Amino acid sequence: MVAFVILAALMVAGGVGVVTLRQPVHAALALVGTLLALAVTYVTLQAHFLAAIQVIVYAGAIMVLFLFVIMLLNVSGERTGDRLKWLKPAAWAAAGVTVAGLAVVYFLQRQPLPGAAVVDGALGGGGAERIGEVLFTDYLLAFQLVGVLLLTGVIAAVSLVQRAAPETRPQRGGAARSAPHEPGAASGAGVMRDDELVHGGH
Amino acid sequence: MTHDPLWITFIKALAVCVLLLGAFAYMTLIERKLLGRFQHRPGPNMVGPGGWLQPIADAIKTIFKEDLNVTAADKFVLVLAPAISIVFALSAFGAIPAGPAGSLFGFNPWVMDLDIGLLYILAATSLGVYGIFLGGWAANSKYALLGSLRSSAQIISYELGLGLSVLAVIIVAGTLNLREIVELNIWSVSPWLWPGLLLAFATFVISGTAEVNRTPFDLPEAEQELVAGYLTEYSSIKWALYQMAEYVNMLTASAFISTLFLGGYRGPRFLDALIPGVSEWPFIWLFVKMAIFMFMFIWLKATLPRLRYDQLMRFGWIYVFEFALAAALVTGAVVAFVI
Repeated sequence: MVAFVILAALMVAGGVGVVTLRQPVHAALALVGTLLALAVTYVTLQAHFLAAIQVIVYAGAIMVLFLFVIMLLNVSGERTGDRLKWLKPAAWAAAGVTVAGLAVVYFLQRQPLPGAAVVDGALGGGGAERIGEVLFTDYLLAFQLVGVLLLTGVIAAVSLVQRAAPETRPQRGGAARSAPHEPGAASGAGVMRDDELVHGGH
Repeated sequence: MTHDPLWITFIKALAVCVLLLGAFAYMTLIERKLLGRFQHRPGPNMVGPGGWLQPIADAIKTIFKEDLNVTAADKFVLVLAPAISIVFALSAFGAIPAGPAGSLFGFNPWVMDLDIGLLYILAATSLGVYGIFLGGWAANSKYALLGSLRSSAQIISYELGLGLSVLAVIIVAGTLNLREIVELNIWSVSPWLWPGLLLAFATFVISGTAEVNRTPFDLPEAEQELVAGYLTEYSSIKWALYQMAEYVNMLTASAFISTLFLGGYRGPRFLDALIPGVSEWPFIWLFVKMAIFMFMFIWLKATLPRLRYDQLMRFGWIYVFEFALAAALVTGAVVAFVI
């Protein structure tokens, strides 16, 4: 219980820091702190696998990418645009609604917590076995759909960063036109000839 | 298997930290001596008998050097970054088992016996990247920032190869507990698994070398293009903390490779015929295997030139990543269809 109070205080402090700190890198670090405190909370609840995954995925991968983007774009904390004036009251309103909703649920639906034996049985010692079992039986469809979603994201990212090669396009079209019955082979030959031309020119 | 009382765990954690830092001090000396031998020169041999007091002199020198501070730096993050590096480097080692249960005078020769020990080490090392990353950013200087971006991009890229190579071991062992992986001995399961496991071993050693920023992947040391990378603006004890983190990470990598692929704390069985029970002795076998890999790291440093940055990224993403994936797939297929 003591551990939970300390961790909860850390998490709330980190969350407040994310919103209030002016320097984006500091805000991101506050978020990392929140995520780590959450991972430690999982450890105190005997969910070791979840804690490790939380650290590896969120703190070790996603937040590193956040920081990468912040550093590469060199975002400074100075610019506070006038266009986003409505954001502050809206954020306060959203936070108020969230707290009110949590309070209502807490006071109206007081259910006793499940016993320690039930929790231990469900967690199976906090290892990977139980989670894998549930993931590949009860939630198989959702699991596969998430996989498809991630694959879509990867393909979208690759297609966004791919640059079209402008010089090769028209000449390849010309090669294809000269040999219309063999489009695949002709375009391939056209690309090769372009490469030779480029290299020969240099 | 019994659990140790909490105060014993504290003492063991402290002992691991002290031993790792002592090993760091003497690894710097051993590295310099070996590099000297590789280059036909004696290496450091002046301080104390045979130069063996050199690390102590280095420590005193580093502590009493002026701690320069950059005016434009982010002071808080500048101090935080080396601390992050060393904390996660030290804490990663705790999950490595150094002997069979109860073999250390009745106590267990490890700090933590986690069911997810393997993931724990991956998690702790993946957090170490923050130290490099923030250190370069906090210094508020171009070279430091570029260096830290390069180093972090390298570490993140090779982490994929590392994770996928580990997958082959997990498929064979069916557990994430490092002690159980050692007890199982993955090579004894079936000879059909050997090709996949050998491939995974190779990609794991390569990505492990890249993860600890060693030659041929030591871009922070590319002084002709980046000064000293993320270390540029660091001096005195904060610089020393980064050095400690690097060597502790090397030690952890050696122990991790030995534990996953080479039977960790177990010695060769045939020696039991000479001295009964010698393969069960704690510490010694892990130390021997770690020493072999530490020597390999130094040997590589003395032998290989450094990769260029684009070569490094291409090598990581095209070769290491694909071969590690192939190793996991082959191993998975053998486990599913052959045995």
